[in-house]
Amino acid sequence: MSTHTSSRTLILERIRVARRAAQPAPYANLPRPYIRVGSLRSGARLQLLMERLREYGAEVTGCAPDAIPQAIAASIAHSGHRRIVAPPGLPAEWLAPGAHRGTHPGTDPGTDPNVYVEWLIDHNLSIDQIESCHGVVTACSAAVADSGTIVLHHSATEGRRVLSLLPDWHLCVLRASQVVETLPEYFAQCIQPPALVTWISGPSATADIEMTRIKGVHGPRSLHVLLVQDDASLEEPA
Amino acid sequence: MRASLFITCYNDTLFPETGRAVVRLLERLGVALDFHPGQTCCGQMHANTGFRPEACSEAARFVRLYQDAEAVVIPSSSCVAMIRDQYPGLFDELGNPQLRHEFQALLPRIFELSEFLTDHLGVEDVGAYFPHRVTYHASCHGLRSLNLGDRPLRLLKKVRGIDLVPLEHLDRCCGFGGTFSIKNAEVSSAMLAEKLVDVQRTRAEYCTALDNSCLMHLGGALHRQFAPMRTLHLAQILAGTEAEPAEMPA
Amino acid sequence: MSPSAHPSEPHSILDPRHAPPFPLAALPVLRNPQLRKNVAHATDVIQARRDRLVAEKQDWQQLRDAASAIRTHVLDHLGEYLEQFEARCTAAGGQVHWAGDAAEARGLILRILREEQATEVIKIKTMTSAEIELNPALEAAGITASETDLAEIILQLGGEEPSHIVVPALHINRSQVREIFARRMGIPDLADDPHALAAAARAWLRKKFLTVPTAVSGANFLVAETGAVSVVESEGNGRMCLTLPRTLITLAGIEKLVPRFADLEVMLQVLARSATGERMNPYTSLWTGVTPGDGPQRFHVVLLDNGRTGILGRQTERQTLKCIRCAACQNVCPVYRQTGGHAYGSVYGGPIGAILTPQLMRMEHAQSLPFASSLCGACYEVCPVQINIPQVLIELRAQAVDQQRRVQSRLIDPLYLGMRAAASLFAGPRRFRAAQRMARIALRPFTHRDGPDHEEWIRSLPGLGGRWTLTRDLRGLPEQTFREWWAARAASAAPAAPAAPAAPAAPEGSAPAPKERP
Repeated sequence: MSTHTSSRTLILERIRVARRAAQPAPYANLPRPYIRVGSLRSGARLQLLMERLREYGAEVTGCAPDAIPQAIAASIAHSGHRRIVAPPGLPAEWLAPGAHRGTHPGTDPGTDPNVYVEWLIDHNLSIDQIESCHGVVTACSAAVADSGTIVLHHSATEGRRVLSLLPDWHLCVLRASQVVETLPEYFAQCIQPPALVTWISGPSATADIEMTRIKGVHGPRSLHVLLVQDDASLEEPA
Repeated sequence: MRASLFITCYNDTLFPETGRAVVRLLERLGVALDFHPGQTCCGQMHANTGFRPEACSEAARFVRLYQDAEAVVIPSSSCVAMIRDQYPGLFDELGNPQLRHEFQALLPRIFELSEFLTDHLGVEDVGAYFPHRVTYHASCHGLRSLNLGDRPLRLLKKVRGIDLVPLEHLDRCCGFGGTFSIKNAEVSSAMLAEKLVDVQRTRAEYCTALDNSCLMHLGGALHRQFAPMRTLHLAQILAGTEAEPAEMPA
Repeated sequence: MSPSAHPSEPHSILDPRHAPPFPLAALPVLRNPQLRKNVAHATDVIQARRDRLVAEKQDWQQLRDAASAIRTHVLDHLGEYLEQFEARCTAAGGQVHWAGDAAEARGLILRILREEQATEVIKIKTMTSAEIELNPALEAAGITASETDLAEIILQLGGEEPSHIVVPALHINRSQVREIFARRMGIPDLADDPHALAAAARAWLRKKFLTVPTAVSGANFLVAETGAVSVVESEGNGRMCLTLPRTLITLAGIEKLVPRFADLEVMLQVLARSATGERMNPYTSLWTGVTPGDGPQRFHVVLLDNGRTGILGRQTERQTLKCIRCAACQNVCPVYRQTGGHAYGSVYGGPIGAILTPQLMRMEHAQSLPFASSLCGACYEVCPVQINIPQVLIELRAQAVDQQRRVQSRLIDPLYLGMRAAASLFAGPRRFRAAQRMARIALRPFTHRDGPDHEEWIRSLPGLGGRWTLTRDLRGLPEQTFREWWAARAASAAPAAPAAPAAPAAPEGSAPAPKERP
């Protein structure tokens, strides 16, 4: 379209005229005087992450690497949610014992053997189907302790964006080895910038009414982080 | 040690007692002072109100007048901020590199009073005596432009007999802002009213500062409200001794 | 006027072309104690949170240095980065459009929406869409625009105008929100508890999120390197708008770029801390063009100039474009604290609004805004990208005064005349001394002795002086100026010679003539 082209040309020309006297410095010269790599040992790093996640109202529990399925099942049972959606790449063994694709009875390892968990796996589920789920279980790509942030790149184990958005309860499985201390450390890991990212710092919130922080508006009202102790050098989370 | 006093136009006209106190204080500390009768205004009022060519003239006058001074002492933090922050831009605007050059040479010799005392003379205890309850208001320009930090408080803490009470919301503007107090008189007054609540809560006898412009604002409202608290430039507190008490207003 | 132009009547109170000057616009707020209380409370809370989180960040000043440098670098290379963004975004399946002004941006968005046969759009809060007055244009075209940010819903349902860049309904308290929701959502027994109010908003919007196929968003950052767009939010309404619809239109000012993905490591650290006093806001989304199977499959970016290239060409004012819309300046501003946002007559209020609005208006409107500041400098101190707002305010004041020099009405403006007169008095000591004496005589009729010390005070002055004596007395002019005292002292102490002047006396009026500004 001609107006489109001419506005483009016009704007770029105005910029060129505006900056004609400038002597711009190259990108490489940008100062980076801030802290890029953290200084905490791994135990303290995890402690910080847990503190900061909890400060914004997220729930954090820990588990051993070989106990993920049981921990997921326990979390679901504890949440009271019974209809759970999962991304297609989530390890099958993570689904509550006995569960697989479709609708199946799940067994609660802890308390109630009659608890029934209905799993939906996201093979092109409709929006309505996802909306009908009470909870979602995903993996994640990283976590940043300093800001209490979980990072999703929306791979097959993390699910497409809508999956971790509509259900009211989000259980995110995080391995301790994925936790960095600072935001720059996370970015340093991303050799190839991901096409999709969601940085999640606590559950949905607002402070729009009298600056009162309210947990949970449109996104999941509960965020539960399951921290998998996959590093032998780490102490137990509090 | 010699120093030239730039008293500022409004101290000269409205607050001569501040000037007298600076003279008394610095002479007591062994500084030989001179006062150039050619001085008028640093240009702050014009620059901040948008009258830039007028401010340029005043800035040029200032530099010409003081270029040979050993040190220039100015008992007004906002005037020093004007000189440091705005003169370079004004001289660029004038297209006068010679003046800009002279200014750069003069710049390190320009001191706000508390800087002159603590940094240049290296004194905090100036031998002052002021047996009163005092609160200190940090003028915005001193706080943010000159980064005076705790210099004024260090000076005040060494004053004998003083009962120094901290002011809440120390970093909040009193609402003066030069011609802002005229152009936006109602908003300025609302800011002032909020400031006065903090000031009066200290129950101090005197509110002091390094800028008589803020003090004129605060003092004018205190008087309007029949408040017993008075305003006093810091120099006047530092000038008083046991033998010769501080010169009180009027 | 194109059909896409917004309806001309009635004007929004935030239309800078029609808003009253700031001192007048501030009056109704100053007389509204509830409103002032709401504003002071909200800004106090955000400020306290921000201060705490900034204090915990050891490298805060270094982050500011880096953030400022990144934004300056972008402005230095704006053309290249825009073209790079366009190429990468297009390669990833997005469509990039360029809008020279607000009307063109509205036209572009309406054209896309017509192609989509849209009758309704969901919107995530965007200042830029408010800047171009998109909602009235959509309404005029028969398209319902549903705001989804809690604060924006409050404003939209209540028929209110935004008063803050980040927390636009901060001037409305919970009972007022309750009243608006109860009336407009038809929930008469709604409680005024913020949780209940947020839950009402959730229920109100849920169906819209799931069914409306078109959305409009702004952008916090555009990544030149990858063509990605990033939006920062808290509630999840943004994620809904960015994820669920079939078609997404993102409107962004041309200055919103960062060079590379990794530069977000700086920007995200400073933004949330400055804006809401959080280490990181609950949700930050980033997407690149179109991702098959995930999110909108039609994606448009409208790049908006609307005066920005004009600002770019000006040396002092250019820094205005570094702004990342965190509103930290607004929260700390002692003027905003008293007046709230509406007095600024612009969607951009507070210190940044006072410099941005008149520039976006090409200094043809809103010339009172650069004077709406006491120049206290608190805004510059908190700005995460180090915009020297006082410096820009002073620059714009000079431009406003230069405009005034060209119009006859200056001759009846007492402040203008006073400033010109003062300039001639300050040009030399003889005139200045004469003026001091004259002032003493002129003020004598207004001066009275009062109080226990029988001091001289002025309680009331005519004309411009009356603006001062509105709430403040003025000390009577002392009998002796400092220079008179000094001369007398020198004469009595040293009959030989007074202290030698530091420099040869400058003759009267010897200062260089003021250069005329173009």
